[in-house]
Amino acid sequence: MLALTACDRAAAGVASSALSVRAAWARSADSGATTAVYFVLENGSGVSDTLSGVSSGSAVSATMHMSMQQGRMMQMAPVTSLPVPAEDSVSFQPLGAHVMLNGLTRALVDGDTVLVTLHFVSGRAVEVRAGVRNP
Amino acid sequence: MSIASPRRTLFLVALCVAVACDAPLHGTVRERPAPAPPLVLTDAAGAPFDLATEQGKVVLIYFGYTHCPDVCPTVLSTWARARRQLGTKAAGVRFVFVSVDAGRDTPTVARAYAMQFDSSFVGLTGTEEALGRIKRDWGFPAYPEGDPRTPDYGVVHPASTYVVDRRGRLLLLYSPGVTVEDMASDLRRLL
Repeated sequence: MLALTACDRAAAGVASSALSVRAAWARSADSGATTAVYFVLENGSGVSDTLSGVSSGSAVSATMHMSMQQGRMMQMAPVTSLPVPAEDSVSFQPLGAHVMLNGLTRALVDGDTVLVTLHFVSGRAVEVRAGVRNP
Repeated sequence: MSIASPRRTLFLVALCVAVACDAPLHGTVRERPAPAPPLVLTDAAGAPFDLATEQGKVVLIYFGYTHCPDVCPTVLSTWARARRQLGTKAAGVRFVFVSVDAGRDTPTVARAYAMQFDSSFVGLTGTEEALGRIKRDWGFPAYPEGDPRTPDYGVVHPASTYVVDRRGRLLLLYSPGVTVEDMASDLRRLL
């Protein structure tokens, strides 16, 4: 997906009202396993919103987590809501925020696509089409 | 414009090699590396894995769990890419993933998980008792976070990859964000 900056949108005459996702990918994993989905979420509108949940038909459950190092230990904190400021972006990336797909209902292999839906407090929903790979 | 003489070129190449050899290792280097703690487990085939018998090889160890969605696969993916960069030298390195999630993982599950990243990777786990011994000897806690009665609980586990040198000494720790290039560069030096 082509990412446009706010200036690009203005120059191109594109309405800046959308939440959009780019650079989405998921790590390959076996059926029944757990994996993560990563992406950059952009809020091109002038209105802040809050990501309040995720869902996917490809897993028993989909939740948001943040990986955190505490001293020598690694742990994950559940994320129940995440503000997405106006004209700003939020990155889901390895060793940070990620969507956890638990109990995959099918194997995800390189070249596949997995769908995840992002739900916002405003009532809006954004579909993420994540390419599957094993980098 | 000057043209470098063969002798000057040779000198510069030798200098570059010397500088590269003296470059510090990446990660956290132990100034007085002590023998690695014991790590003895039974693999999926019923054969013993004993770290003490791996002397002569560099051994990388990560303590994680197979339901780990983010950090463990990121680390093992880095290992796999670093291993590929080593070419034939990779035979001198053992990559060992140890699941500290006795509640869900078995030796078979741990082995299959590790081999997803590279068929040479070793995947191990053990009973609560065996893992308790390892946690005590290696000096870290590891425990479920969230409700362990639910299928998607997390496990708090060590962040670092432990690197044991060819003499069996715990020499180096890598954070999860170490780059493939830095790891491969270090492993070439340690071999």
